[in-house]
Amino acid sequence: MAGKGERRFLKNMPGWRASFNPWILRLPNNPERLAFVLHRITGILLVLILFVHITFTTTPATRGWEFWVEEIKRAQGITPVTLYFFIFAGIAIFHGLNGIRLLLVEFLGCCVGKPEKPKPPYISATLRASQRTLLYIVFALWIVLWMIAGYIIFT
Amino acid sequence: MGYSRIQLWQYITAILLIFLLAWHFASRLPFLRGVESFAETLAPDKVYEDVGGATGILALALAYTALFHGLNGLRGILLEWLGPSRKPVINTVIIILFIVFAGLATYGVTGITKP
Repeated sequence: MAGKGERRFLKNMPGWRASFNPWILRLPNNPERLAFVLHRITGILLVLILFVHITFTTTPATRGWEFWVEEIKRAQGITPVTLYFFIFAGIAIFHGLNGIRLLLVEFLGCCVGKPEKPKPPYISATLRASQRTLLYIVFALWIVLWMIAGYIIFT
Repeated sequence: MGYSRIQLWQYITAILLIFLLAWHFASRLPFLRGVESFAETLAPDKVYEDVGGATGILALALAYTALFHGLNGLRGILLEWLGPSRKPVINTVIIILFIVFAGLATYGVTGITKP
């Protein structure tokens, strides 16, 4: 029981650095951790981009169409505006695809394998289940869809 | 002791976002809008088609859903970093951010005029 002056909560706070370190667990072959870190980074970036996106897309109502048209003229070829859209697309596509994987695995319990009696070398059944294939599909689809998005944005 | 259902809402908004974002991204595809380039899909008449009519409700639903999902996700991360003792402050900041940006999005859709 916590005494006077001690923390009221269990100390399970590895700090903000842990959120961005895919190698904190020091386990070989751990793409799930990499996906977790990328999901968190892209999530934080998406919230910031969402604020910018909402503020900018309000300009036709706040500053008129003239301002919008001037800004959109910069959305042709390779410009800071199209680079922003390209980066936004990459971030959103990864977060979305990995989010669908998480919905299937966490929310619906799909592809996680069946519980089994632990036996050496004690590798979790979940890590040997088809959810890992799903993870590799997410990484592959991400690259393909991001390249397609780049082609659409820059041409 | 009661339990929070907010994580369930995080999953529900995630499912909604799959469809709403698919619609939002599809509306930027030149071949679906009958134009030549990505930049042309951002022309005022095309943007007005997206948010000026009945589809403005979809745009608003997207904004509210994305704000809820994003800010609740950020709330979870901040709670993990700063600890449950900061929960009231974090919740207040998150609610204020939601109200401000949801209001801005609402004005952006309802205040738009025909180009």
